[in-house]
Amino acid sequence: MTNTKPYTKAQSTTLLRLANEAGQAIPPAWPLAATVAVNPFLGQAQEPLATASARLARATGETATMDRSWYLKKLTSGAVTDSDIQAAIAATPVSNKEFSVEEVKRSLAETIPQETAVPTVADLAAHVSGIDWPAIIAERITAWAGSFFDEGQAFWSVPSNKSVYASWRSYAIHDLTSEILGLDGFATHMLEAPDQARDMILRSSHALGIRQNEASSYYHQLLMMLGGWGQYGRYQLWQANLSGGEDDIMLDLLAIRIAWENALLAQYESEISASWEDARTRHSAKLTPSKDQEVEAIIQEACERAEQRRLSALIGHAPADKNEKNDRPNLQLALCIDVRSEVYRRAIESLDPGIETLGFAGFFGLTLSHKRFASDVEELRLPVLLNPALSSVSGSSSDTDNDNAERYKERATRAWGRFKLAAVSTFAFVESASPIYLPKLIRDAFALKSDEPIKDPAPQLVDALPEKDAIDAAETILRAMSLTDNFGRLVVLAGHGATVENNPHESALQCGACGGYSGEANARLLAQLLNNKDVRSALVERGITVPSDTLFLGALHNTTNDSVQIFQDGHAAPQDGAAIRQAQAWFDQAGKLTRTERSFRFPGTHSDDDVRARSHDWAQVRPEWGLAGCSAFIAAPRERTAGSDFSGRSFLHNYNWRDDKDFSVLELIMTAPVVVGSWISLQYFGSVTAPDIFGAGNKLLHNVMGGIGVLEGNTGPMRAGLPWQSVHDGETLMHDPLRLTVCIEAPCEAMTDILERHESVRALFDNRWLHLIALNESGQMASRYVGDLEWEPFATHDEPGDGDDGGSEEKDLIATP
Amino acid sequence: MLTHVLVAIVPLILIASGVMGVRSSMRRSDIPGYAANAGLGAAFAALLATLAFALGQPEPNAVAGSSGLRAIIQVDIVSISMLLLVNFVGAIVLRYARTYLDGEARQDSFMGWVSLTLASVSILVVSANLIVFVIAWIATSVFLHQLLLFYPQRIAARRAAFKKFVFARAGDAALIGAAVLLWSTYNTIDISTINAAARLGEADTKITIAAILFALAAILKSAQFPTHSWLTEIMDTPTPTSALLHAGVVNGGGFLLIRFADVLLLSPGTMAFIAMIGGFTALFGSVVMLTQPAVKTSLAWSTVAQMGFLIMQCGLALFPLALLHIIAHSLYKAHAFLASGGAVQRIANTRRPGPVAIANLRTVTLSFLLAITIYGLLAFGFGLTKEAPQSIALGAILIFGIAYLLTQGLAEEAPKPLTRRLVAYSIAASLSYVLLHKGAIWLTHDVLPITPAPGALEWVLMIMAVLSFAFVAFAQAMFPLWAYHPAAAGMRVHVSNGLYVNALLDRIMKSWRSSSKSITQQ
Repeated sequence: MTNTKPYTKAQSTTLLRLANEAGQAIPPAWPLAATVAVNPFLGQAQEPLATASARLARATGETATMDRSWYLKKLTSGAVTDSDIQAAIAATPVSNKEFSVEEVKRSLAETIPQETAVPTVADLAAHVSGIDWPAIIAERITAWAGSFFDEGQAFWSVPSNKSVYASWRSYAIHDLTSEILGLDGFATHMLEAPDQARDMILRSSHALGIRQNEASSYYHQLLMMLGGWGQYGRYQLWQANLSGGEDDIMLDLLAIRIAWENALLAQYESEISASWEDARTRHSAKLTPSKDQEVEAIIQEACERAEQRRLSALIGHAPADKNEKNDRPNLQLALCIDVRSEVYRRAIESLDPGIETLGFAGFFGLTLSHKRFASDVEELRLPVLLNPALSSVSGSSSDTDNDNAERYKERATRAWGRFKLAAVSTFAFVESASPIYLPKLIRDAFALKSDEPIKDPAPQLVDALPEKDAIDAAETILRAMSLTDNFGRLVVLAGHGATVENNPHESALQCGACGGYSGEANARLLAQLLNNKDVRSALVERGITVPSDTLFLGALHNTTNDSVQIFQDGHAAPQDGAAIRQAQAWFDQAGKLTRTERSFRFPGTHSDDDVRARSHDWAQVRPEWGLAGCSAFIAAPRERTAGSDFSGRSFLHNYNWRDDKDFSVLELIMTAPVVVGSWISLQYFGSVTAPDIFGAGNKLLHNVMGGIGVLEGNTGPMRAGLPWQSVHDGETLMHDPLRLTVCIEAPCEAMTDILERHESVRALFDNRWLHLIALNESGQMASRYVGDLEWEPFATHDEPGDGDDGGSEEKDLIATP
Repeated sequence: MLTHVLVAIVPLILIASGVMGVRSSMRRSDIPGYAANAGLGAAFAALLATLAFALGQPEPNAVAGSSGLRAIIQVDIVSISMLLLVNFVGAIVLRYARTYLDGEARQDSFMGWVSLTLASVSILVVSANLIVFVIAWIATSVFLHQLLLFYPQRIAARRAAFKKFVFARAGDAALIGAAVLLWSTYNTIDISTINAAARLGEADTKITIAAILFALAAILKSAQFPTHSWLTEIMDTPTPTSALLHAGVVNGGGFLLIRFADVLLLSPGTMAFIAMIGGFTALFGSVVMLTQPAVKTSLAWSTVAQMGFLIMQCGLALFPLALLHIIAHSLYKAHAFLASGGAVQRIANTRRPGPVAIANLRTVTLSFLLAITIYGLLAFGFGLTKEAPQSIALGAILIFGIAYLLTQGLAEEAPKPLTRRLVAYSIAASLSYVLLHKGAIWLTHDVLPITPAPGALEWVLMIMAVLSFAFVAFAQAMFPLWAYHPAAAGMRVHVSNGLYVNALLDRIMKSWRSSSKSITQQ
């Protein structure tokens, strides 16, 4: 062993700190029962793309950018111009290297060698022994972790009363598999291992000869090797941190993986010690992007600038406001900012000038912990960055009997399910009851099911808000929506959800702002709050006058079939009937228009009925495209974007900075919806650019693990991220991996001020994980945030020489054919 | 003859669309649509054949030297019901695959290989002579192999397919050996003639060896312990393959035993052997299943268990019930695999209505007594007591399963309405079992041999089976009270790894050879 001296106390402390930091560098993955998009580069927000790409390549052999052929296609199609590249070179933080446009283009045409990860001990052992140790380790860890984290697939799971590391250890002590496959004495090795994960990490690191300058990179790599298990662990840490606690789970997971390295080195040391020394040296090398990685980061930026050029033609050029501020809308429809709403908003606005739409985060400002009807499960219907402030349940005391009846029914169904799957009784089940699967097969194969509306009774807060809090909440939310005057006759607040069949990733299609659940409970509660007479009269004193005949109703927009279900919840009076019927008629028409538009994005789908049918088809792996294609986030009054076709690729947030006196709403937008938008955009980005690492793989092979995730096939690590079918239609990518362009109509100084106060948000913009562009008075793109709290005028490079302040060198280059 | 013609149409349709599929290499062509419709067409033809069979004159028992289609196609309740089952499931699988694989580069060939596999299973189940039977048997696994390697670059797919390949070839050899022995003994290749002769004849060494070889072929085809592990590893191919495999192909072993029932009955030792193997596999598979956290893996272990039960039924000479088991299990398992994507929501839903009521020893005992009472009443009511002891023993085993349903309803914390519901379910399930059982015997009485009176060996086997199933059922009902005890932790690890049978096989087969990917040093 390389180290002979034991680690000093200071060294140990440092190594454990690095281990913790390595854990922080792993993105969290929420369980599939309620999953949300996560930025896979969450731990790399402090560094630019090229560096993150180099880090990923070192750990996994994959880069964070696209194949060169994809970029070349963008170039040859003319979508990306030389001036885009020029601007990108100027903007991309490149270390000690100067690139020219020609160099970038030439370099892109070269074939480059596949990146190689630094080998682990397992890789080296596999090389010399011919036994695929990395795969065996992945298989063994899944065999244990699947049971440990199981939420209810198996009857006989691993007790979860131990720490992750202790549970693993107890498993490994009994498991004979690794010894049968050739790792001698592994059970004994684990029996003699320290009780505590941190001691195991230190002991193994010492045995492996890990020095401080190697540890960070090596630990990160080992945690990345765990795939979805590492990310699921990071999720548990995230939840612990959110509620103010701590969790050592990442140390536990690292201890498990490093234990294998330790055992394998002990067995193969004589053959691999030299190559392991080399590997460690690579870990200690300073992380600098290669020229190839920098070129890719430049062309990536250029593609995004090309997209911004396209976008600039769409905003701020709308015809003058057709609906004068003073004309009272018949219907105001507030939808989630989700890009899928954009198509629907355009459709419904086209039906009648008296329809106005708004975009707002779909949890409608209410951070709910909600129990649905006849359920004990607390569903956190809120952005995952936040803690719940309110508890709600479906139904009131008058629904108790129904609630119990429903529970008995569900429990009987559950008991039947256990009968079906238990030892011995499974035979009785088959011999007595399986013929009922004959009609079930026919029903599912021919989709003989109808749309089921949500039947949960109106949600109620468990503890009613004190009057002042209720008024404060109403005011805050209305101001955040920029909805403070000119209220319509009917205001429909529509959360959104998705109905799909037989899809493990169903919750990824639900509302991300509602924690991967549908958003109707939040919308219905907000409607209840805003219909409250006392709240309304108190709002008048705060400068918000809601006309007495304005009615708020909650609703649910189903993004798979584009139906809208209105919840009257006892708010509507007889005289509201006509307005509601009219709204429903508009919803039906808008749904048809939206489905027709969406049908063009599905190969072989020709009508709105075909689109509707996808939501009931148990074999359909692409029931809808979700947020695929998302590329822009626009916070501005709707007038700036109305009339333009954003093809369902833009988040549209209503925001009127003139009404935002202290810029508190702007601050909220930049720190919450924008951050959520970055998570979504970057999840798609990672699932497309590094699908083997950050994507969930092939849906046709998915094997649901423990109700929380999927395996691709029979073994390997759990897979987080988006399935390939969610971003690709079989022939073409449905999501261009472009980092989100955030356009906000607000003074630059106000935004600078906010960035200055929110370091983590600033990092996203400074390192170009997000682009920030300020819109001017007329909604046109005017200034670009260039990092370090600096702005420059936005230039579209429409014609040569129109570039931003480029020196003579730049002009020369642009002139080059 | 009409029935024969209709039966012949079924595989012809599938072969036509299958050949079209495997020859095509276009993405998003019209072929998946054709193949799905061909699947429906084949199922419809099978349905017409069933109707023609049901409404037509009973076929005379085949005689030696039957010619034309009759020499190739055997029409009886066993072949017709299997044909209908296979093509019903096949039509569902093809329809599913048409949508599911949309956009896959090799969807056409997937549809093609599924169609060809279905065609060969269809031929297998209706084949009237040994040669067709053997060819269809081999063709089934050869075509299936193409589906197992639909993603040939996947190492895990190759690993599982290789195991399956080795066992399938061993099974083919056993089947060919048995066929040759039968041919040379009876001087005919006609299966009904062989069975008729066996029914009247005496055993000799050749017949005994043939029976043993059949048993081996069935064990290998139907994933019996210790050759089961290929089945639990085949996941690295699109889900419809699993549905087809678990609902169509893996039954082949059980079908073989049913088809050659008369031959097997000449070798009571072989029957006892497969009863033991089957019974052990059933208990082994169903206990391992309890520990599996991944949905498809759990379903695959469930199939191992169910195939064990099927083989045990054959070993106990309960052939009509074995046929019923094949049909019932296939319908269930096809649906379970195709719907396995819903596992996330199903698991989430089980958590909603509150905790599961846990039963104590008293409740479990009471449930068992109650279940036995229900069974006793039904048995007297429907005259089951006159049946063979093997059948009564099997009924007892199943009733231990019903007891688990009752246990959940009778648990102390279970509210009254839940208790009422679950008692009603238990009675309905018991009644349903009795009726299906009666129906199966009634439908097959002139084709399948009756269960012979048990000898001493059979009695020992039955008692062992009843006791061991009772033990596992009881342990299962008491589950939460002991399964998380530290003393059980080691056992759980061994069970969840299938007692390391697969690991040993992996070691022997060198399944985990690392790929030739070299480790480049920078």
